[in-house]
Amino acid sequence: MANIEMDGKALSVPDGSTVIDAADAAGIYIPRFCYHKKLSVAANCRMCLVEVEKAPKLLPACATPVMEGMKVQTRSPKALAAQKAVMEFMLINHPLDCPICDQGGECQLQDLAVGYGKGGSRYQEEKRVVLNKNIGPLISTDMTRCIHCTRCVRFGQEIGGIMEMGQIGRGEHSEITPFLGHAVSSELSGNMIDLCPVGALTSKPFRYKARSWELKHTASVAPHDSLGSNIEIHSKNGTVLRVVPRENEEINQCWLSDRDRFAYEGLAAKDRLRRPMIKQNDVWRECDWQYALDFAVHALQALKEKHGAQQVGALATPQATVEELFLLQKVMRGMGSDNVDFRLRQSDFSADAGLQGAPWLGMAVAEVSKLDSVLLVGTNLRADHPLLALRLRQAAKHGARVSLLNPLDDDLFMPLAAKAIVSPAAMAETLDQVRRVLAGETVSGDAQKIAANLQQGESKAVLLGNLAQHHPQFSELHSLAQQIAAACGAKLGFLGESANSVGGYLAGALPAAGGLNAGAMLNNAPKATILLGVEPEGDTYNPAQAMAALRSADLVVALSAYKSPTLLKSADVLLPIAPFSETSGTFVSTEGRVQSFAAAVKPLGEARPAWKVLRVLGNLLALDGFDYDSSEQVRDVALTGAVSVKLNNTLKTLKPLSKVTHGALQRVGDVSAYHADAIVRRATSLQTSHAAANNARMNGALLSSLGLCEGVLIKVSQGEGSAELKAARDDKLPDACVRVAAGSAATATLGGLFDEIKVERA
Amino acid sequence: MLSSESLIQIDREVAKYPPNNKQSAVMSALRIAQIEKGWLAPETIEFVATYLEIPAIAAWEVATFYNMYELKPVGKYKLTVCTNLPCSLMGAQSVVEYLQDKLGIGFNETTSDGKFTLKMSECMGSCGEGPLLTINNHKMRVQLTPAKIDEILAGLE
Amino acid sequence: MDRIKDFFSTFLLIELLKGMAVTGRYMFARKITIQFPEERTPMSPRFRGLHALRRYPNGEERCIACKLCETICPALAINIELAQRDDGSRRTTRYDIDLTKCIFCGFCEESCPVDAIVETRIFDYHGESRGDLLYTKDKLLAVGDKNEEQIAKDKAADARYR
Repeated sequence: MANIEMDGKALSVPDGSTVIDAADAAGIYIPRFCYHKKLSVAANCRMCLVEVEKAPKLLPACATPVMEGMKVQTRSPKALAAQKAVMEFMLINHPLDCPICDQGGECQLQDLAVGYGKGGSRYQEEKRVVLNKNIGPLISTDMTRCIHCTRCVRFGQEIGGIMEMGQIGRGEHSEITPFLGHAVSSELSGNMIDLCPVGALTSKPFRYKARSWELKHTASVAPHDSLGSNIEIHSKNGTVLRVVPRENEEINQCWLSDRDRFAYEGLAAKDRLRRPMIKQNDVWRECDWQYALDFAVHALQALKEKHGAQQVGALATPQATVEELFLLQKVMRGMGSDNVDFRLRQSDFSADAGLQGAPWLGMAVAEVSKLDSVLLVGTNLRADHPLLALRLRQAAKHGARVSLLNPLDDDLFMPLAAKAIVSPAAMAETLDQVRRVLAGETVSGDAQKIAANLQQGESKAVLLGNLAQHHPQFSELHSLAQQIAAACGAKLGFLGESANSVGGYLAGALPAAGGLNAGAMLNNAPKATILLGVEPEGDTYNPAQAMAALRSADLVVALSAYKSPTLLKSADVLLPIAPFSETSGTFVSTEGRVQSFAAAVKPLGEARPAWKVLRVLGNLLALDGFDYDSSEQVRDVALTGAVSVKLNNTLKTLKPLSKVTHGALQRVGDVSAYHADAIVRRATSLQTSHAAANNARMNGALLSSLGLCEGVLIKVSQGEGSAELKAARDDKLPDACVRVAAGSAATATLGGLFDEIKVERA
Repeated sequence: MLSSESLIQIDREVAKYPPNNKQSAVMSALRIAQIEKGWLAPETIEFVATYLEIPAIAAWEVATFYNMYELKPVGKYKLTVCTNLPCSLMGAQSVVEYLQDKLGIGFNETTSDGKFTLKMSECMGSCGEGPLLTINNHKMRVQLTPAKIDEILAGLE
Repeated sequence: MDRIKDFFSTFLLIELLKGMAVTGRYMFARKITIQFPEERTPMSPRFRGLHALRRYPNGEERCIACKLCETICPALAINIELAQRDDGSRRTTRYDIDLTKCIFCGFCEESCPVDAIVETRIFDYHGESRGDLLYTKDKLLAVGDKNEEQIAKDKAADARYR
């Protein structure tokens, strides 16, 4: 600790901290533009100049480390004069376009100009003009406003992992720009909007929508991945206008992934369901709630009478809240059925019997940044868990060894100590090799290297990602990962797939007494099926099969926020429910953190929060215990006792490795990040920013052996279903694999994510 | 993109730095690329960046920062005349006028046959011998007089 | 003594004569009554009457939808919605002033960075129903178009003091 004096206050601050850190900790505000606590120090804006005793000149507070006995004056006449002079320089070339600038009202330059600027400018000459750059559909640029703090550049280098923006030129001619005409493609690019202290980088979807001060702020939780990122929903007149991160050092720090930031556009999609609808004689018509609910209840009861409770089932999206999942399973169990599940994209349920709790991350999110060695199994990390990738990147920067066992090799923007890129069918085999090495055997190849990396370091983890969880040999991967973790003293963890992947287990929304799981129900749907937020074409392991199964059911009651075309085909009743922004609820994140949130805006049209719909459904079905008044009451019943004791990744019984046979070509069906759930599928800006993902990718050897070339239209088929896609070359993919991302409409006709696939010229 | 000789030279520059610091060689690599290509097209810069395993924009930053990297095509011979104070005192202005008259071009222009480009520069650190110019950044000619300029231009083919 | 004075003043009608003297004086003084609406009193260029939205001489509307007037309005009488126009500029899609709420403080005019919203000299507007006093963007622009000459003159007169 160093003892310093700042503005006459005696402070004791940790050695090595800077003057600006000390000031922030003591609540003394030093103006700054380029300094950001999460970024490296650039000291190029000079706004934070302070007077230090015995220093001949003023020093930048952000780049001056504290020293014992230092006496700092942050508001002495000399310091103030310097800060005001810097401000005058800043404003020389800054346009006076605050009235049309979206940053107006939340602009650091504007704020500080009030404190440090003059009433008028002495600068009479022409101001410089910088051409705007088109950097994609998410960020809008007004580069004349830029003050060259280089926060966006440093963000790319240090946080995003890829330097997409740079400062070209010199002196008065410097400009911030991406490389000639390139769009910014990082999955974290939206953070540059927050970082930009002026209006040079602003949100394109939010452009000219509202002023910052007229927005209603509601604290909420991001629903698109399992991290539980804290967000703030900004709304006006009942419309969500933007989403910004809410700082939480333990989860998302001050960052937010683009998916969580821009997916809100999907909340106002044109195909939002506003009124209940029922299908009679194959014609859909809108009706009132009473009629729709009566219809659903009578049909449900009739089918239950006719076929027994075993022919009633329910499927829910893991994006649903704890309350919704809890009430759904309560309705099912009340009707005497155990057929309820939320793990829609899982294909292998054979480990269910051995589960001793809800699979979770196995550690706190914050611990991920401190790992020394980690093995990632089956994950498209940057797409699926952008902020966990960010944390691992930070860990890797500090020397963590990251190993990867994966069927695809998208750049993670971090150094990998070892990697084994193998076909999905060979994943379990390779993982078994790692296990064998740790057990003392010697094998050749990547497994040896992976095992060697896992043997080093103190804090270690084996993490199973989304691809592993969707994998047809999931239980084997789980068993092997458990053994590997045990052998090297690592923590076993699951990168939860969706906002409530852990919450679904805690709410009991899965079969407990021999009921049908999601795989079984989507293969052969019960006669009466309730869907909660499920869109079979995008949310399931095998969309073609799921749609066929639902069409064969006698009654499908869909609680959905959207009037999706497939639901119109397969459902009989559509009940409009509120998405996360319009309902109160709770998500349990992958680290087991229970986070409740309130509705930000009123439900659209006649839509109602799903927990209320399910409560009424329970009442109409004359079931007991559906007298809840608030979502909090439901939550308190659903989550009794400590959550931490219910989290457990360990299997009671291990599943031995089985021999798998597969066809000539295997599909690698990762779920594309911007098609992962119903809301994000409708977020137009995100869709245009990553439109190219809908290709059939394979390596060069496979392309030439099939006689294809890049860019040609090919027909890929699985079973009955087929789709026409463009062939693309990705030499990082393993042999005999065709990567066709799932989730989008283009691939909704295909089968299982990791099943055999056929490719022919269209 | 670049010839194997250039790549060998770049490799030699890369070898001067620790293995993880390939990007330290970016200035030399750009210089070598410019010698071969005459100027640095965006594709050339992107190639150099990929070769050094750095983002293209990082190489672009360097190339735009220093004014001896040419980002637009120049003539076969780029004549850069110093116009700073010591050279000016020694008659740089008349050298410039003579060159401009003789070549029929102004600063930052190229003769129609694509042979000469005229550039203005700041001090080149040889003030004792002004006025002076450099040819293609690498050859310096000092104590210029009209006669000497004629001789230099005649010698450039 | 006072009592004698009072006695005489009661029947000599002194007060009445005093009063009549005042009347008589005004009878011959210059008349200040004007015949409204044929005649009108002079008005300051700063008069704060009916609002108008102005255009530039090339016909482009001035308002850039910065929302400062809406924000400053103490009576919450202004309601603005905005969007990006096809040419990329920031424009209002709705600009309503509820004149039943407006207190004619002139803050909107004061806050406007482009002199788009102004208060004109018009005070004798009327509405036959409540809705007539809800001035929409079209109405406000029409007021501006009709009175632009006078508005420009007033703005020029006041420019020195702003």
